[in-house]
Amino acid sequence: MQGPSVEFEHVGLTLGNTRILENISFSIRAGSIHCIIGANGGGKTSLVRSMLGQMPHTGRITMHWHENRVIGYVPQTLDFDKTLPVTVNDFMAMTCQRRPVFLGSARSRRGQIEDVLSRMGLEGKGKYKLGNLSGGERQRVLFAQALIPEPAMLVLDEPMTGLDVAGREILERSIVEFARAGGTVVWINHDIVQVNETADTLTYIDREIRLQGDAREVLKGGVAAGLFPSLALGSTVAS
Amino acid sequence: MSWLYDIPRDYIIGLADQGVIHYTFLYAFVVNGFLCALVVGPLLGGIGTMVVIKRMAFFSQAVGHAALTGVAVGVIIGESYTAPYVSMFSFCILFGLFLNFAKNRTKMSSDTLIGVFLSISLAIGATALLWVSARVNTHILDTVMFGSILTVNDTDMTVLLVTTLVTALVALPLYNQMLLASLNPSLAHVRGINVHLLEYVFVLLVTILTVACVKIVGAVLVEALLLIPAAAARNLNRSIRGFVIWSIIFSTASCLIGVYAPMRWDLPVPSGGAIILTAAMIFLATMIIRMLVPRFREATL
Repeated sequence: MQGPSVEFEHVGLTLGNTRILENISFSIRAGSIHCIIGANGGGKTSLVRSMLGQMPHTGRITMHWHENRVIGYVPQTLDFDKTLPVTVNDFMAMTCQRRPVFLGSARSRRGQIEDVLSRMGLEGKGKYKLGNLSGGERQRVLFAQALIPEPAMLVLDEPMTGLDVAGREILERSIVEFARAGGTVVWINHDIVQVNETADTLTYIDREIRLQGDAREVLKGGVAAGLFPSLALGSTVAS
Repeated sequence: MSWLYDIPRDYIIGLADQGVIHYTFLYAFVVNGFLCALVVGPLLGGIGTMVVIKRMAFFSQAVGHAALTGVAVGVIIGESYTAPYVSMFSFCILFGLFLNFAKNRTKMSSDTLIGVFLSISLAIGATALLWVSARVNTHILDTVMFGSILTVNDTDMTVLLVTTLVTALVALPLYNQMLLASLNPSLAHVRGINVHLLEYVFVLLVTILTVACVKIVGAVLVEALLLIPAAAARNLNRSIRGFVIWSIIFSTASCLIGVYAPMRWDLPVPSGGAIILTAAMIFLATMIIRMLVPRFREATL
């Protein structure tokens, strides 16, 4: 499996009278973990949604694909009516099979669904109502759905929100393994320590690009400029 | 198409003739009502689950009322006032599509927009009805609003059957996609689902099935049948499978009991009203079960 590389050329986005992104140009290497960081309202989600073709952006975003063109997407939250009678298995099945979900999981998908749920530490939770899961468990389900069918690229919009330590470790390990196997990861992440430990490259945006390049180099420069106090406290920037 | 209906009709009448089932089934209009109930029940019960999930109950009510305007338009252009299907379908489809278009363009919440369109449609309908009141007995409006399952003819049954087949052929393969699009449109889009197109498809389906059922259960009651069985099923189920299956069972049972019970026990209740009252009783029963059975206990706030 080989993930795509991505090129952003002079990308801009204006919604109403608000300029959200301005002249964003950078590229993401195939098979790398690229983190997008920045303050709230800085345009991170808008940039990712522009890449997914969901925003009326200007400029050009090009993806250079190989055979597998599947994107596994983990949205920020699953904003839905929690009283709906939808189980974890229902949700997983509706994302990856054509057979109406009320007729049950397709046999071909059943094993895969069980496998990804157990990889996310959700064994035995398939019959639980989605609305009754904790926020962290729901995040794991959201991540699990992104793994079927096997993606070449993972697009993650703050997938760690609400996760406990065990959940963070499981997801982080899965993401790193996915990239080592050749997949491309685009990851919006607020946790600078985690970015420092996992990212190959990063872009720091606040409407326009503030910092961009190799993750360690950028973070070092950022720490020196007092941009990342959480990293400076721990002094964990890899040399 | 009459021969197609004669097969089950003759069979059921034959059973009544032999005394196997109640003698009211000797009448063809009762059998017609029963056959319609067998089709309308699963159709509205099944689609009702999606209407509840997509929070479109108010939309189906608006389409039902638009059908009233459709009837008035039909009379104006010279269609038969007992079955103005061309006008009803045309007006309601235009109404539904334009409403969805406006919703996409204005990004306004759907209940506000439906309220606006419903009022406009009713105003047009009231005006048009005033023009046509000299030409037809306005009591036909009662049939449009509350239906008359015991007066359905072969044309009504054909319209219902074709609508049911179209709905099943379109909705079954697209069920999961519609579900995902309503839970998270962004995720659905990444999965290759055309979210906007699916919205139009669903609006069209609800529109045509509402119009097809207007003569049978009435404009007001279609909405009730789309909603109450699904709401009752939702009270008792945790999975989509249980939700859909029980909604179909509740809806079909309501239709069959609503047609049969008033005739069997000589009750002074019209069939449309009896169908909805049965569904309402089922809903109340599920609510009581939900309150009393510990496995349904949830957070109080």
